[in-house]
Amino acid sequence: MISLARVLKVREVSTLAILLLEVAFFAWYLWPEDGRSHPFLNGGNALLIFKYSAIYGIAAIGAAMVIISGGVDLSPGAVIALSGVVTGHLFVNSGMGLGTSVGGGLLVGLLAGAVSAILVVPVRLPPFIATLGVMGIARGLAFIITEGRYFDVSSKMPGGWQPMGMPAGWVTPLVMVVLAALFQVFMKGFQWGRAIFALGGNETAALFSGIPVGRVKTFVYVVAGLLASIAGVLLTLVQGQGKADLATGYELDIIASAVVGGASLSGGRGSVLGAVLGTLIFGVLRNALPQIPGATFYDRLIVGVVVVGIVVMDQLIAKKGS
Amino acid sequence: MKWRSSALALWIAPALLAVACSSPGTRPQTTGQTKYRFAVMPKSLDIPVFNYAKIGAERQAKALGNVEVIWRAPDTADQLRQKEMLESFITQKVDGIAISCTNGDFLTETINRAVDAGIPVVTWDADAPKSKRTAYYGVDDLAAGKILGEEAAKLLGGKGTVALITSMGAYNLQRRLEGVQESLKKYPEIKVVEVFDIKEDSVRCVEIIATATNKYPNLSGWIAVGGWPVFTRNGLDPVDPKRTKFASFDTIPPAPDVMRAGKVQILLGQKYFGWGSEAVRLLADIKAGKLPPNPIIDSGVDVVTPANLDQYLAEWARLEKE
Repeated sequence: MISLARVLKVREVSTLAILLLEVAFFAWYLWPEDGRSHPFLNGGNALLIFKYSAIYGIAAIGAAMVIISGGVDLSPGAVIALSGVVTGHLFVNSGMGLGTSVGGGLLVGLLAGAVSAILVVPVRLPPFIATLGVMGIARGLAFIITEGRYFDVSSKMPGGWQPMGMPAGWVTPLVMVVLAALFQVFMKGFQWGRAIFALGGNETAALFSGIPVGRVKTFVYVVAGLLASIAGVLLTLVQGQGKADLATGYELDIIASAVVGGASLSGGRGSVLGAVLGTLIFGVLRNALPQIPGATFYDRLIVGVVVVGIVVMDQLIAKKGS
Repeated sequence: MKWRSSALALWIAPALLAVACSSPGTRPQTTGQTKYRFAVMPKSLDIPVFNYAKIGAERQAKALGNVEVIWRAPDTADQLRQKEMLESFITQKVDGIAISCTNGDFLTETINRAVDAGIPVVTWDADAPKSKRTAYYGVDDLAAGKILGEEAAKLLGGKGTVALITSMGAYNLQRRLEGVQESLKKYPEIKVVEVFDIKEDSVRCVEIIATATNKYPNLSGWIAVGGWPVFTRNGLDPVDPKRTKFASFDTIPPAPDVMRAGKVQILLGQKYFGWGSEAVRLLADIKAGKLPPNPIIDSGVDVVTPANLDQYLAEWARLEKE
C-alpha cells in the first residue's frame, strides 16, 4: 500500500494539497456571520477564479517548459497583448473572418517564440536578455498597431456567442485544463519531453547524450510563444477587446506560478500541471484577499509572503529528498 | 512529516497577517436596521486623488449609519484586474457598487450583469456611458476639457506651441482631451506639437516632461488632462516657467505648493471628497427606492490660479475637517 507521505512527495500532489489548504482557510476565514450566502465558497466564484486564472495558466504551461529547460521567458505578458491586438485588428479593421483572425493572432505567438529562440540558440544571448527584448518589441508593436486605442471585438461578435454551445466564460478554463493534461503527458511520457528535463538538468551531459540541444530549446521557446498567444487570443475573444496594455506585468505572475508549482529556476525540475495549480493558488489569493475586511493595502504583502513560503518549503523538500 | 507542518504554518502566516490587518469593527454587525455593503472602486490604489474619495465615502457611510464601504481596487490601473474584482463583487452579492472605470466600454457588459443581478451600480469620476448604470457623478469631462483649453489659451495670449499630456484608454480622459483640442481649435496661432500618453504613471510623466523639454526647448505651454505632473513637487523642475506655462487638472497636495513655487499657472480642481460621498449617498438613495432625477450629475470644476489659491485652500481645509 502506498503511504500518504509518498503520495505527498509527488510535486503535483503537494501543490494540490497547498491549493486545497488555501481554499479551506479562506472558506473558514470568510464564513459569513450574518446569514448571507458564502461570498467565497460558491460555484459562481469558483468559475470566476478559473476564468481569470486560465489566462495566466495557459501561458504558465509554456513558462514552466522554458524554466525546466534551464531558461526563462519574460515575454508572455507582451505576447498575450500583441496576439490579442493582431486578432482584433484583423477581425475589426481588416474585415477578416474569425478563423483567419485567430490564426493571425496565433502566428504572432509562433513568431515571437521563434525570435526568442533565434536570439537564445544561434545568437547565444542569455534567455533573460533575449526575452526581455522580445517583450519590449511585442509591447511596442501592440501600441503602434492600436495607437493607444483598442479594437472592439465584442461589437462584431455574434450576440450571445456560445462556442461549442457553452458560455464564453467557460472556454478559457476548459482550454487550460485540456492543454495542461496534454502537455503533462507530453513532458512525462514522451522522449522529446524528457529531453527538456535533461537539457535543464545538465546541458553538457544532454549534448553528449545525443540530445539535439538547439532544436529542443527552439521547440520550447516556440511552444511558449504559441501558448501565450492562445491566452491572448482567448482573452480578446472572451473579454471583447484587443488592447495594447492588457496583461502588463503578467510575466512575473506567470513565472511565479510556475515556480510555486515546482519549477526550479536552475532548470531540470518542474511540472506543467504544477504550474497550472500554481496559477490557481494565485487566483484564489487574488479573489479572496480583497474580500477580507480592512485588508485593502495588504494584498501584495500577503501574496509575497505566500510565494516566499511555498518556495522555501519546496527547497526544504528538495534538500530532504536529496 | 516536518514539511507538512511547514505547509500548515504557511497558511497560518497569511491568516495572522489577515487578522492583524482587519480590525474587528470593519466586519458587518447585525443590528435592527438593514445593513448595506457597498463596494466602492477607484481605478487603482496608487492614484493619490482617490484617497480623498475614500475619506468622502467612509464619512458618508458613517453619517448614514447602516452602510459598510468596501474600498477595493487593483494596485495599479489594470482594466482586466478591475473587471475581475467587479465580477467578484457580483458573486459576493454586495448591495451596491460605485466604480470609477479604467475603461468604461470594457466594463459595460459586467456592469450590466451586476444590474441584471439586482445590484445597483453608479459610476463616479470615470463613466461607462453605454452601460445600465443608474447614475454618474463627476465632471462633465468634455466641458471641463474645454475650460482647461480655454484658460490655457488665454494664459498663452492665444499663440504658441503646446504639448498635451494624457493617458490613453480611459473614457473620461479621452473626453477631456477632446474638450481641450476643441477649445484650442479656436486659436489658429496655437499649434499642438505632440500628445503624450503617460499610461497613468506619474513617474513616466515626469520623465516625459524632462525629455520633451529637451526636444522642444521653446515650447510655450503644457496642458495635462490629469494631475500626474503635479502629484510630485519636483516633476516640473525641467520646465522654465518664464518661457513655458503649465496648466493641469487636479489640485490635491502637493499641487498647491507647485503653484506657489510658480511652476504651474492653472489648476482645475474636481470634487474629490464628493466622488466618494455622493456615490455612497446615491447608492443609499437607490436602495431606498429614490432614483436621481438626472442620471448624469455634473459636479463642476474649480479653476484655481495663483490669484484665488489661498481662498481655495481655506475651503479645502474646511472640507478635510468636516
